[in-house]
Amino acid sequence: MASRALEQFLSSVEKRAFKIAQLGLRNDDDALDAVQDAMMKLVQSYGSRSSEEWRPLFYRILANVIRDMQRRRTVRGRIMAWLPVRDAEDDEDFDPVAQAPSGEPTPARRLELDEAIGTLETAIAELPRRQQQAFLLRNFEGLDVSETASAMGCSEGSVKTHYFRALESLRARLGDVF
Amino acid sequence: MSQDFENRTREVLEESTARLDGRTLSRLTRARHAALEQARRPVRARWRLFVPAGAAATAAVLAVMLWTGQQKAVEPGAAEDLEMLADSDAPVFAEGDDLEFYEWAADEIET
Repeated sequence: MASRALEQFLSSVEKRAFKIAQLGLRNDDDALDAVQDAMMKLVQSYGSRSSEEWRPLFYRILANVIRDMQRRRTVRGRIMAWLPVRDAEDDEDFDPVAQAPSGEPTPARRLELDEAIGTLETAIAELPRRQQQAFLLRNFEGLDVSETASAMGCSEGSVKTHYFRALESLRARLGDVF
Repeated sequence: MSQDFENRTREVLEESTARLDGRTLSRLTRARHAALEQARRPVRARWRLFVPAGAAATAAVLAVMLWTGQQKAVEPGAAEDLEMLADSDAPVFAEGDDLEFYEWAADEIET
């Protein structure tokens, strides 16, 4: 059944989709909203398409949702800047280490990984938007150049350029750590 | 060298994803179910949401007209009455305390 296939597809992408949205929006609640919105739109508009098309379509929808939320946030930030008292939540810096699940004392390896996660995610979050998209879709989600181009709505050449620049930027910043 | 760096960053991101907390995983599951529930909803139910009340009223009145129209001819002015009855935005004339006033006004117009 198409419904079962859709469920399997959504289940297979939801965690990475959340991570991509979290890095783009730097806020867990917004990221969850973005993923749900993208799921709804995929099911509503493209559920009847062949399953091979779902992944690039889903990530294209997600990228658009993230971009729209970023724009709304920018506009809201400009408006808030005119007000005498600013909302403290808007000024909070994203701290991936603080947001990582806390718990019992961790072994040295776990601490090392925590640090690597925090450093990498901060560096990715600070990449320009298109470089961030290209890097996450190619490297993390594993889309090929053609699928990434489809998801980003640009040419394959642009994907290669964005991805190369993202890698260079991350390597320059994380080379010693990684 | 470059491949090592790409592999390493991927591993770290995978590790980060594997550590998502229970609350986030639960909300993702709910989001997925909500999206699929939307797809399972019968087409008829979704269609009904977008039908304006006026159109439904028009269809009902037309059905009655066709049912009774075989016995007698449609009276002059019936089309206007029909339009008025089907207009969901129009005031409801036949309800409330002003019914006598409207009957009086109609008599005045006829005379």
